[in-house]
Order: sequence, then structure tokens, then C-alpha cells
Amino acid sequence: MADVVTQMAATGGKSLRQRQNATHIGIFLTLILLWELGALMGWLDPLFFPAPSAILTSFWRIYFAQGNIWYHLYVSLGLVFAGFTAGSILGIGLGAVVGMNGLVRRFLQPYVIVLEATPRIAVAPLLIAALGFGATSKIAIIMLVCFFAPFINTLSGVINVDRDRMELMRSLGASKLQVLRKLVLPEAVPVIMAGERLALTSALSGVLVAEFIQRDQGIGTLILTYTRNLNMASAFACILTLTLIGFLIFKGMEKLDHHIAYWKNEAGLRRVGAKRAQAWATAQRGQSNA
Amino acid sequence: MNTMQSSAQAATAARRGIVIEGRDVGKSFGGGSVIALEGASFSVKAGSFVSLVGPSGCGKSTLLRLIAGLIDRTSGQLTVHGRDVKGPHSDVGMMFQRATLLEWRTAIENVLLPVELQRTVTAADRARATELLAMVGLKDFAFSFPSQLSGGMQQRVALARLLQTGADILLLDEPFGALDEFTRERLNIELMRIVGEVGATTLFVTHNILEAIFLADEVMVMTPRPGRLARMVHVPFARPRTPELTLTPEFNALVAEVRDILGTH
Ligand SMILES: Nc1ncnc2c1ncn2[C@@H]1O[C@H](COP(=O)(O)OP(=O)(O)OP(=O)(O)O)[C@@H](O)[C@H]1O
Ligand SMILES: [Mg+2]
Repeated sequence: MADVVTQMAATGGKSLRQRQNATHIGIFLTLILLWELGALMGWLDPLFFPAPSAILTSFWRIYFAQGNIWYHLYVSLGLVFAGFTAGSILGIGLGAVVGMNGLVRRFLQPYVIVLEATPRIAVAPLLIAALGFGATSKIAIIMLVCFFAPFINTLSGVINVDRDRMELMRSLGASKLQVLRKLVLPEAVPVIMAGERLALTSALSGVLVAEFIQRDQGIGTLILTYTRNLNMASAFACILTLTLIGFLIFKGMEKLDHHIAYWKNEAGLRRVGAKRAQAWATAQRGQSNA
Repeated sequence: MNTMQSSAQAATAARRGIVIEGRDVGKSFGGGSVIALEGASFSVKAGSFVSLVGPSGCGKSTLLRLIAGLIDRTSGQLTVHGRDVKGPHSDVGMMFQRATLLEWRTAIENVLLPVELQRTVTAADRARATELLAMVGLKDFAFSFPSQLSGGMQQRVALARLLQTGADILLLDEPFGALDEFTRERLNIELMRIVGEVGATTLFVTHNILEAIFLADEVMVMTPRPGRLARMVHVPFARPRTPELTLTPEFNALVAEVRDILGTH
């Protein structure tokens, strides 16, 4: 009896969801159709609203017929990866060091506040002046925009470590390094991951700005070139590509977050709990065999 | 000269079976502006269960943290096993009102933490951890994470972790204070049994006078502002004790005596 009820509830929920999805798709297709119609009838300025069919054609061209976007994507994503990695390592590392050391923290506090109030991207031209044109200054710009979120989040994670747990670690005779490794960093992991999400999104904006300024290669330069040639459909295709990448990054980071901060979600708790139980059993068996 | 003297002291203390001894212990914060504890003189016998009662802010937690070496006293003498207390030491284990478990570790990994901080974990340590979890009634929850356990179960894990340290002095700061009445009563009785089994010396802070007397061999009664040790009240009842004890006139006479010292009629 109870089974029947739950089953009905389940199918009811599913069909509701399916109906919702159908509605979304319907509205979306109608909008696209209206847009296409508007472009066809000349109601919309093609300079701002290139027809969906034109954008689709551009997609085909830049990905397959001409295939020129691949190289630029490769260049831009490579820079994002390099800048993000360097910026995060620097941010997390410095955040941990500053957070663990009260003296350094007091000394640095005013500078951190001043730097936080400064729009980071404003420094980009200075970085180019200092490092010259090329990949190095681009990576430096991305590092700059990536650095702060992990730094601030790691710092606050480390500073806000639970007082009672800290006292417990001290009463158990833990060294400073042990406190960092076994208490402070794990406890800060969820906030650090939140910082990393922000950083990766910033990295994507950072690479575009760097390429807008330097105009040599990469997806930012490609958008700039298409726009200047009034090839709006291709520019739109590039922007939609970035939308997709942004979405994938968001989803990927969400997955990673669930994986790393496993104790913050039900599925993670069950998965890791089962794994640890198994590892324990294996160790036990190894012991009795030896 | 100094060493000779202190080892002589240690010997006398050991002969008398005293593990913790304080003489005029005082602690003030903020350069003397807040006096948390003043002139506390006391001694705790090996294997005894001592309850600390007193109003909020009278320095109970401060006294435990002084004994654990987590903070430094500002006056007086304080020895554990005859040795001067200077910084954290391994003779004592602490337990707090909150379980302070590490949420990313399973119950058994939490129990093993004290060992892990000292040396490589051995098969014997793992066996001991399993045994301790069984002792606190959590045999089947070794691989549960803290967030999957109730508040009472979390405190049981914290108790197992405390026992894993192998410390022979247990400092318990309102360990079950955040739990409901039923759970607290059950855990109190289990605590008495377990502490008796391992033969540890126990300092137990509580706000509840009945609980303090029911569990203890001695009750340290403290008064506030500045925190002072008013008196030690001896509790003569035989063990094992059952909850019916709290209904006897002798028990209630002791309750009245403690209330009298605290001035809370
Ligand atoms: N780190 C500190 N800095 C300044 N004052 C403190 C500090 N720790 C404790 N105190 C003060 O010392 C006094 C005693 O505090 P303590 O925590 O020992 O009281 P308690 O008896 O444990 O109280 P409760 O029953 O509420 O836990 C209080 O007045 C408190 O404000
Ligand atoms: Mg307290």
C-alpha cells in the first residue's frame, strides 16, 4: 500500500517535471522563432540581433568549415589554466601563511583592505608595461584577478577556525604543522573551494580583458576582430561558446566541490564512509595474514 | 638543588596518592583587569571523581584549562603528578561541552586522532579504538561521520577519543551540558562505569548540583567574583550508585549543604 503511494508520488513528480521542461523548451523555441522572423522581416537591426540561422551558420563555419576557433580556444583556455593555477596556489599558500601568523596578519591587514578596494583589472595596463606583450603578461593579469578570492577565503577560513577544536589539538600536543594539516586546512576547505569557483570565473573574464588589450590571438581577440568587421553572427557564436564554457566550469567546480568537501553532502558521506570501512577491513585482513 | 627539591615534592605527593595539587592558584586576564580565579588551594586524590560546581563565570573552565596547561596561571603553584604545570602535557585529556569532532573523519578516525598526532598508528591502536567505541556503545557506528550521529553519540565518540589518549586524568567541562535530560542521565551513569573501569582521576564541571553529588567522591564548590574555591564537600555513598540514591534523605542533606555554600536557597 505504502509502496503504491510512493510510486504514484514519484511518477506524478516526474511527469510534472517533464511538463515543466516541455514548457521551457516551447517558450525558448517560440522566442527563437520570433527572433528569426523579426530578422527576416527586417524589424531587428542585424548589427545587434543577427538572425539565429546566421549564428548557426557561423557556428558551422568557425568550428568545421573554416575551423579557425579551435586554435584560439586552445590558446585562451591554456592561459586560463596557467593563470588560475598560479593565482590559486599563490592565494591559498599566502592565505594560509598570513592566517597562521598573527604578526604578519596585523602587518598586512591595511594593505589587504586597500588592495581589495582597488579594481584589479585597472592594473592590467601596468602589468603589460612591466612585462611586455605576450603570454607572460596575460598570465600575470589572470593571476591578478584569480588571486584574491582564494587568498581572502583561505585567510578567513584559517582565522575563523573553531576555538574549541584548536584547544583540543593543543591539549593533544599537536605541532603547528599538524594543526594546519589536520585541522585548519580541512576545516577551511569548503570556503577555499568557494573562493576557487569565483577565481575560475574571474579567470575567464581576465583572459578576455588581456586579449582585448593585446589583440594578437585568443578568443577575446577573435570576438574583437569579428565585431570590428561587423560579422556579428560569428561574434555571437564566440560569445555563446564562452557561455557554454562558463556553464561547464560552473558545473565542473560544483562536482569537484562535492568531491573534495565530501562531508558537506549526503552522497559524499555515504561514498567516503563505505570506502573507509572497506580500506579498514583490508588493512585488518592484511594484518591477520602477516 | 631545585630539581632535588621538586623530585622530593613529587615523591611526597605520590606517597599521599595525590595527582593534582594547587596552592593559591590565581589567574587574571587583560593584565589583571579581569580576575577569573583567585587563591584556589586544593588537592585531588588518584582515581577519585571530583565534581566542580558554581555559578557561571566563577572560573571552572579556567581552572581546567590551567590544569591542562592550555593557559598559564598568574599566581600560585600547580602540580600534576608532582610536576610543575608548564604548557600542554600528556597527563591529562580534555572533553568540552561541544564534541569538537573533526567532521571530515569517521568516528573511528576521530578516536585515533590522539595517537596519530604522536606516532604512526599501529594495528594495536586500531584494535584499541574499536574496543573503546564498543565501550561507549558505538560498535556499529565506527564508519559514521559526526554529522550522521546524534549529539549524544557525538559526545560518546569524544569520550572514546579522550580515553584513547591514555591520559589518567580526565578533565570534563560540562561534557553533556548541551544534551537533553534523558540522554544526559544515561551518559552520566555510563561515564561513572567507564571511568571506574579505566581507573582514571576525573574532574567534572557541571551546573547541576544533583548530578555533581551523584557522580562524585568530592564536590568542589566555587563562588564567583572573583572566582574562589569555597569548599570541598566529601560524598560518602558507596558505589555502584543507582538513581534511587538521589531520593534518600542523606543525599538531600548533601544537596542542601552545597546549596547553602552557594547561597542559592
Ligand atoms: N580569555 C579570556 N579573556 C578574558 N577573560 C576571560 C577569558 N576566559 C575567561 N575569562 C573570564 O574569566 C571568568 C571565568 O571564566 P570561566 O570560563 O572560567 O567561567 P566558568 O565558571 O567556566 O563559567 P561557565 O559556567 O559559564 O562556563 C569570567 O568572568 C570570564 O569572563
Ligand atoms: Mg565554563
